[in-house]
Amino acid sequence: MSHDDDELPSGLSRRAFIGGTTGGAAAVSLITLSGKARGATSPRVSGPGAVRISMTVNGAPRTLKVEPRTTLVRALRDELGLRGTKVGCDRGACGACTVHLDGETALACTTLALEVGDRKVTTIEGLAKGTTLHPIQQAFIEQDAMQCGFCTPGMVMSCAALLAKDAKPDRATIRNAVAGNLCRCGTYPKVFTAMMTASGQPAKGWTLETRTTGNPAAPPPGSAWVGIAGGAVTAQLRTIPETEAKPWPMNPGLNVVGKSTSRLDGRAKVTGEAQYTSDVALPGMLHARRVVSPHAHAIVKRVDTRKAEKLAGVKAVFVVKKQEGATLVDPSTEKNGTFPRIRYAGQCVAAVAATTPEIADDAARLIEVDYEVLPAATSLDAAMASSAPLVYPVRVNLGGSAGGGGAAKDLAQQGNLRGPTQLSEGDVDAELAASAHKITGTFRTQVQTHSPMETHGIVADWKPAELTVYMSTQGTSTVRDDLATVFDLPKSKVRVVCDFMGGGFGAKFGGGHFGVVAAELSRRAKAPVRLVLDRREQHTAVGNRPSTLQQLTLGATREGDLNAVDLVSHGTSGISTGAGVGWAAQRLFPANAVRTRQYDVFTHAGPGAAFRAPGMPQGVFALDQLVDELAERVGMDSLDLRDRLDVDERDGAPTAPERIARKLERRIGADRIGWKSRHAPGAEKGPIKTGIGVATSSWRRIVDMDSACEVRLARDGSIQLRSSVMDIGTGTRTALAMVLAEDFGLRPEDIHVQIGDTRWPIGPSSGGSKTLVGITPAVRQAAHEVRIKLFAAVGKKLGVEPKDLRIVPGRVESSVDPSKALAWKQACATIPTDELAAIASRPADWQGPKADGYGGVQFASVQVDTETGVIRVLKVVAVQECGRLINPLAVQSQINGGIIHGISWALFEDRHLDHKTGRMLNANLDQYKVLGAKDTPFIDVILLDQYVGLTNTDAHGIGEPANVATAAALANAVYNAIGVRIRELPMTPRTVLAALKKGNRS
Amino acid sequence: MKNFEWVQPETVADAVAALGHPGAMALAGGVDLLDRLKERLDSPSRLVSLRKLPNLSEIKVAGGVATIGANVTLARLAADPALQKSHRIISDAAGHAATPQLRAMATIGGNLAQRPRCWYFRSEEFVCRKKGGAECFAQEGDNSMHAVFDNKLCAATHPSTVVTALIALGARVTIAGAKAREVELASFFVKPETDVRREVDLASGELITGLSVPASAANLRTAYTKQVAKQSFDWPLVDVAVALVMDGQTCRQATIVLGAVAPTPRRAVEAERVLAGATVDVLAAGRAARAAIASASPLAHNDHKVQILETVLARTIMNAAAGRAS
Repeated sequence: MSHDDDELPSGLSRRAFIGGTTGGAAAVSLITLSGKARGATSPRVSGPGAVRISMTVNGAPRTLKVEPRTTLVRALRDELGLRGTKVGCDRGACGACTVHLDGETALACTTLALEVGDRKVTTIEGLAKGTTLHPIQQAFIEQDAMQCGFCTPGMVMSCAALLAKDAKPDRATIRNAVAGNLCRCGTYPKVFTAMMTASGQPAKGWTLETRTTGNPAAPPPGSAWVGIAGGAVTAQLRTIPETEAKPWPMNPGLNVVGKSTSRLDGRAKVTGEAQYTSDVALPGMLHARRVVSPHAHAIVKRVDTRKAEKLAGVKAVFVVKKQEGATLVDPSTEKNGTFPRIRYAGQCVAAVAATTPEIADDAARLIEVDYEVLPAATSLDAAMASSAPLVYPVRVNLGGSAGGGGAAKDLAQQGNLRGPTQLSEGDVDAELAASAHKITGTFRTQVQTHSPMETHGIVADWKPAELTVYMSTQGTSTVRDDLATVFDLPKSKVRVVCDFMGGGFGAKFGGGHFGVVAAELSRRAKAPVRLVLDRREQHTAVGNRPSTLQQLTLGATREGDLNAVDLVSHGTSGISTGAGVGWAAQRLFPANAVRTRQYDVFTHAGPGAAFRAPGMPQGVFALDQLVDELAERVGMDSLDLRDRLDVDERDGAPTAPERIARKLERRIGADRIGWKSRHAPGAEKGPIKTGIGVATSSWRRIVDMDSACEVRLARDGSIQLRSSVMDIGTGTRTALAMVLAEDFGLRPEDIHVQIGDTRWPIGPSSGGSKTLVGITPAVRQAAHEVRIKLFAAVGKKLGVEPKDLRIVPGRVESSVDPSKALAWKQACATIPTDELAAIASRPADWQGPKADGYGGVQFASVQVDTETGVIRVLKVVAVQECGRLINPLAVQSQINGGIIHGISWALFEDRHLDHKTGRMLNANLDQYKVLGAKDTPFIDVILLDQYVGLTNTDAHGIGEPANVATAAALANAVYNAIGVRIRELPMTPRTVLAALKKGNRS
Repeated sequence: MKNFEWVQPETVADAVAALGHPGAMALAGGVDLLDRLKERLDSPSRLVSLRKLPNLSEIKVAGGVATIGANVTLARLAADPALQKSHRIISDAAGHAATPQLRAMATIGGNLAQRPRCWYFRSEEFVCRKKGGAECFAQEGDNSMHAVFDNKLCAATHPSTVVTALIALGARVTIAGAKAREVELASFFVKPETDVRREVDLASGELITGLSVPASAANLRTAYTKQVAKQSFDWPLVDVAVALVMDGQTCRQATIVLGAVAPTPRRAVEAERVLAGATVDVLAAGRAARAAIASASPLAHNDHKVQILETVLARTIMNAAAGRAS
């Protein structure tokens, strides 16, 4: 074979290329360029350098150059530019890279390009026929079978392969067909319904019911609606500034908002067109690889980069001299020594940037590091021992990780224990002593890693004029702020772009240490640098939900009223802080006295990070189980007791919106799950037992005033909305379009939403269920200001006072004389300049009774095999309010996801660290067990439309509350099934069998 | 992954010759091998692709005897109507392995020759006995997924689930090499005490070409169970294949193979003895299952596997006797 190529393919090294061998006979996939005869006696050897091959991809013959080691996914993405096929684990475990080979599904990460041979490759880009989508793609959009969208191409490919073989697959067949496609957002239920509808079958089992209030009228002037579907709704007086947008009527009086709407970027996601950070390819871009410590605790004695620097293709090498970025270690601990102390296995020591990922990988292995290995404390229990090796030799004042969690400053530190963070109200000891019922439980929860389908990644492009970074982030401005600080750049010269991102769940705030490394490499190499972490790095270095060990005590009267709540918690967030869980104990069920003492325990393990309702699922896992126990002691129905306890103050009535909501939600959910037929704990005969349980959700309503946007109306009637807020997969893009469409009498698809770029006005981070709370009032305000300008022009044209104008779908008219009107485009043609624009910040909440939290109640029914310890979740009912419903379809997707996350945490996920070395043993996606399609229960979502009258939209968030109650509901259901409490997560066969053996002794 | 040469022979003889090259390794479906290359557990100088070898992609069932080419995928084993009829538990086991995509890629030859999933073995940083080291890190480490029998030298379990069914039905494996040979599948696996560094009896320059499974007696009752914690893609807690020669309710002969509990697929001879000649009922199944676990030696974190094995084996015996698919 001869090589007649002048230019090298982008992904291949010249060294390796030139090393290619020539041989006699051609394998089928090899093009015999020289035309020599085939059929020699020994088969031709290809490689180890580059070879030219042909391949039929999406019906077209393609010629490309690969090395023998080049995987199909790398060839498709980097050689052919087909980046719809994603890399999630690169080990054949997640299905994100699913393609078809001759119509059969195959994993492109686990197939060598050379092995494709004469088989026809179909990728997500080849599924549609021209502009006509495949029916399953269409159904995915209609059913909202996606959130972040990163798994979607692979999921679609698996679905399409099944439909080609089975036109009417049943539910079990569908579940089985996508059992190899992980979706961390938890879209499985909608994948199932999309498959059913695409195959013309009724979809049952995963339902959404939206309950709205009946009144379509606008609230009387100077007031706003307050209330909830199924409860009382009243107009309450509010002082609303003259300059502000007026309150909307309740949803029945609106045209767009409150109606389930397919997401606007659905087409981009189902076709593979959506560009994620790992898909960004800039001219001259380099690829980075980090060198990380294999030791949990060590002193770096020497780092020798000479061999790496000499390797052809290496453009920059960086040795870490101080820790920076979001995993910042207190500098006071770094005084002695040239290199930062190693405090966890996986900590970055150095990094390289090279022309290909393979060279970067090879170069990283050529960097020699000498370590002095020290004893490590890698588990909570080991670190709490008095003789434990210290993670920090001096007191440190770490904040929590960016974006959530975190702990108070200036706390005491003894050994590896930091704290406690204390809260004490009333005399807990006296109240406990006076209590008829005193119940104590010790609860343990495990470390959970975020495991987004898209690992953390960045493309940093350092230019003298501006640092541009493309980042898989939940908060564009948090990345900007970190990088500006570390590199001492003005914020104005750091641009952060996040168009699509593949899941974060709390782990993707800030610049991160890896982000700093990439930017530094780009600065040194004077070229853009892409650094995408691999799955192991994702598991070990960029966040996790801390573990907990909670000692919780409740004291109650004979009737069950709470006298005291007493919590001592220890948890480890590795080298960082933020393992607190006290919030649930402090606020969920009021008592005469409350005391919480929360400790962070430092361990030689990777840092924690905010994770979907930080602290709450852990806290509720303990609290809601003890409340269940209390009900049993008191001899009261568990729901009735919760009604009694879920009040603003002990012995009072529920007045906070979340408490009013939960009271309704408990009754609705009880009907749906069949609470009345609930048997006594462990009452069923036989080894396989079923049970029903309930638990409580709660989360804070957080207002982020860094919420602004720009609305631009062009004379042709088209509208642009811009903000640096990004869409994490919750449907923010679509929700914002719906809000604007409502105010301009248009359809959501008429609005061009551009978000996720710090060039545009600042937006809130997507975390803490605060995105829509923050940004939607700003959107309405900007729309309001544009409307004022539009009405001035239209009023002039129509001879109508601008104050008498209003917008109805499709036109602007006089509210006094609707015959005086202009169709939308005519109205916009009256504006004096080519564009009207307004930038608005979020108006402050209106004065009024506070609504400082979200409620929600979840019920679960489970089946427990008492002889194998295996738990299966049969059904979850979620009854939830979240303010005014903007897009119920997207809210349902998030609730499904929260529940699926909760089940996955409760039953499967566990970070296994080797206790001696601190190395993560299951840093992959097959032994780190994330819930899949066949483990997804039926989920019944009931949404209650709710109004608190605090902003012009009354929109709330939902990501957090959807996740809080699930594990506790499962634990209570398991108790109901088997009559034995499981106080430890995950509830694996091992845990369940051990608990059964131990009986009910706690 | 380090780079390597790649060759795709079109005859078995060429493949054997190519595999004789120093540092050569065979590449079948690639499911396990690519993982190992990426983790740098192996760095072959040459991969010999087996995909184009002729006549290795067929399943034939003639006179009740099944002949299975080494390149037959697990997906085809699961879906083959003739095999489902003649040797149902092989299809059952294949259909419960891994994920749809992996089943479509993985070949039965590769499945037999895959290496353990012990997380210490799979981590480049732990140089265990399998890699020439002096230690089995699972002994003192996290051994929750490890072997509960014969686990002192090495506690890794053999990861194939299909083998339990194949062995229970008396499969033989055919091997090409300098000298073609056929061996009982049951004796194809190498105990750590024999050679801790390999799991199968395959010499350099040899490759698996296929399997043959004898015809089942008319009165053979079989069942297979893979017990997982998570239904979608999980490695088994245990898996069990049971084949009973029945005479009415009486068992004449039992073959029971246990997977995921020992370094090699384990014949539960103690349980087989209990069942031979016994009336198969819940009590006998329980007795057999208890006999099967009598010599278990669980490590610090995996005694749950022993109890699960007892349960699953008893249930699978009952399923077999009742002719139920599990």
